[in-house]
Amino acid sequence: MIECLSCGRQQEPSLICAECGSPLAAQFDCFAALGLPRRLTIDLDALERRYHELSRKIHPDRFASKGPKVRDASLRATATLTRSYRTLRDPVARGLYWLELNGEKLAENNKRVPVELAELVFEVQEQLAEMQLSSDPEEAVERATEIAARRIELQFKMDEALVELDRNFAKWDESADQKMLTLELKTTLSNIAYLRTLIRDVDRALENSKAA
Amino acid sequence: MARIFGIDLGTTNSLIAAMENGEPRVIAVGENGSALLPSVVAIAPDSAVTVGERAIEMEPHLTVERGGRVSAVGFAGGEYGAVIRSAKRYMGLGGDEIAPEDRARYMFADLSGPVVRFQIGKRVFTPSQISAEILRALKGSAERAFGNNENEKVERVVITVPAYFNDGQRQATKDAGRLAGLEVVRLVNEPTAASLAYGLNKMATGNVAVFDFGGGTFDISILSIKEGIFEVLATNGDTHLGGDDIDRALVDWLLAELPETLKLDRHVWNSARMAAEDAKKRLTDVAETDVVVELPGHSIRKHLTRDALEGLAAPFIARTLKRCELAIADAKLTPDNIDAVVLVGGSTRMPLVRRRVAEMFHREPLCSINPDQVVALGAAVQASVLMGTQGDMLLLDVVPLSLGIETMGGVMERLIHRNTTIPTSVAEGFTTAVDNQTHVDIHVLQGERELAKDCRSLARFKLGPIQAQPAGVPRIEVTFLIDANGILNVNARDERTGREHSVDVKPSYGLTDDEIERMLEEAIDLGEQDLEERLLISARNDADQILGALRKQLGEFGRLIDAGERARMDEVAERVEAARTGADRELIAKLVEELNEVTTPFAERIMDAAIKLALEKKSVEELS
Repeated sequence: MIECLSCGRQQEPSLICAECGSPLAAQFDCFAALGLPRRLTIDLDALERRYHELSRKIHPDRFASKGPKVRDASLRATATLTRSYRTLRDPVARGLYWLELNGEKLAENNKRVPVELAELVFEVQEQLAEMQLSSDPEEAVERATEIAARRIELQFKMDEALVELDRNFAKWDESADQKMLTLELKTTLSNIAYLRTLIRDVDRALENSKAA
Repeated sequence: MARIFGIDLGTTNSLIAAMENGEPRVIAVGENGSALLPSVVAIAPDSAVTVGERAIEMEPHLTVERGGRVSAVGFAGGEYGAVIRSAKRYMGLGGDEIAPEDRARYMFADLSGPVVRFQIGKRVFTPSQISAEILRALKGSAERAFGNNENEKVERVVITVPAYFNDGQRQATKDAGRLAGLEVVRLVNEPTAASLAYGLNKMATGNVAVFDFGGGTFDISILSIKEGIFEVLATNGDTHLGGDDIDRALVDWLLAELPETLKLDRHVWNSARMAAEDAKKRLTDVAETDVVVELPGHSIRKHLTRDALEGLAAPFIARTLKRCELAIADAKLTPDNIDAVVLVGGSTRMPLVRRRVAEMFHREPLCSINPDQVVALGAAVQASVLMGTQGDMLLLDVVPLSLGIETMGGVMERLIHRNTTIPTSVAEGFTTAVDNQTHVDIHVLQGERELAKDCRSLARFKLGPIQAQPAGVPRIEVTFLIDANGILNVNARDERTGREHSVDVKPSYGLTDDEIERMLEEAIDLGEQDLEERLLISARNDADQILGALRKQLGEFGRLIDAGERARMDEVAERVEAARTGADRELIAKLVEELNEVTTPFAERIMDAAIKLALEKKSVEELS
């Protein structure tokens, strides 16, 4: 239970006081902040409308002439709202957050190469190494062109993984097998995280070669 | 409730605006009833301050007098008083961040400190103090415009800042407000403010790009507007890229044939800058023009076509377009998804800028609201949002630069990514690395680079004292919160006890609270003085200026005058000195005029000698 600083009413954590409508600086989860059930599938348009509606009510711009306590509550409540909205809007962030709520976490520096991507990954890494080692500028340009083509391939894989994630959200929401669901979700998210890191490495290598 | 005013604190000009009958209006603050107050501040050796058009007259420059004589006038800088323009360029910077080309422009005091300081007379001034004088002048003029009505005091304001301003630059702007005795209710990003001014009547819904190219800064913001919610999707920019840079390139071209020593002469350089700026403006309407800089005995006269100007300006405009590409990509859009492009800032008057922007976004940009005024008008709209008189309108802005902390190996760990909607917060857990460690040092950074050393240091703080425990046992949760002004707030909590930890944040750049308090005590509140008093101060400034310059010239070039001339000069100078301590400003003005006349031949000989010396190896033909 938390207490409203404006009217003193004791209540369940929420962004807005049920009694007087003042913002409340409560700590709670992203789904609750936006008044949503903990489901992986989210209607993005409805999410945005809800976010705007709540922003209109609790944003610091609405309390510029109020006392410091209410202003501070509004600031913190809006920070929570913003963070929650951004987390839920992005499917990957939403998936990771959902895992966290269920006591699971992806390893921070995930070095395990996803099986389905193994071949592609090794090739790209080999090419990156070749480009970095080559001393002949002409050869370096050639390698860079090859890698740029690989980047398109990687991005394609990434898009595929994102589509799969989105498609599976609905399936997982209906699934009764919590263990299986967690495992599948973790695998998909781990693949995405792996691809993201690889794409970043490729981008950095390409940028460096351009600079050189 | 007291009205909130909107202020555009610009690099070149500053404006103040307020809502009148539901419409934002700029308030006439300039000498000639104009809405633009030039952001130029003159400070005399005795620290008396002049702001605006009159300060421009005090800038060191060459002037052609009756009879065609050219003489050097204006505060020469340092102990002779100085005129600071574009103070915004230096806001929130540390001494080590001053660009080499800026170092010759002003006299800086001790560039090793965390704040840039101008040395003027015996005192030093920070850019925040200079900006505070501009804010005071706006406040004073606006209050006079309202007939000094007790109910129309300017006390609470919204101030606009470039969207790409970092934490330190924002803090310095807030400090300027505080030093001017104003409550800064909110800092608003300039392009966002402009979108509010346009959005009041038009653009009910859709994606909008705001291209804001001003005197000293460039911003691009991409917004999504939906049912009164103005949501910034991405922003990018360069806080040191503006029309000033084009003027400087023009000056370099104008003075190309002069020897280095003369190029750096403040009088020569400023005269060339004025000529360059005028020519640039003329070329918006005509295809070619002559640019003339009168030096004593010589003149530089060059022909400038719009094509040539565009050649000089092109690299700067290319930089703005690169920033646009990055912002569009960050917004996850393509140029074809943008429904409208809005032009803001005086530099968007250049035809080349308009052409390039139209090419980039595949549509003609909008400029129906005066690009010099639109930011101030938008600030007034945001002020009325904050007063609760603007219905459902709401602005959701973003933080322009990522915020993170330095981790092992000097790597920047990002905690809040750029273009995150503000206010936002993130909590991060910290613990100790060795047994019985009593403090944890945290270094906060801002920027997009991988290594801490390549990012800008924002602040350092110490967590503690922590109760002595084995390594890794203490758990401290630190919350980094960016408020609606884009400024960082930090607090820490012991996770086990739930007790709040005190956090002593030391900003890496900028002023401490104590320094601001001291400046407030020292400040001479010129805004409170009446007109007569200001005119007297200004007359004294003129007297000090000419006396200072004369003293310097006599020291250096005493050999250029004969005894009779010297005696006459000393006699008039003495009378000026005596009158200066009195309160008769007309007498001071009359004597200054007299001294000016007596010393003109001398000043002319000095300039002549200096130029002859410098031009020894250059023929007059090369110059003309």
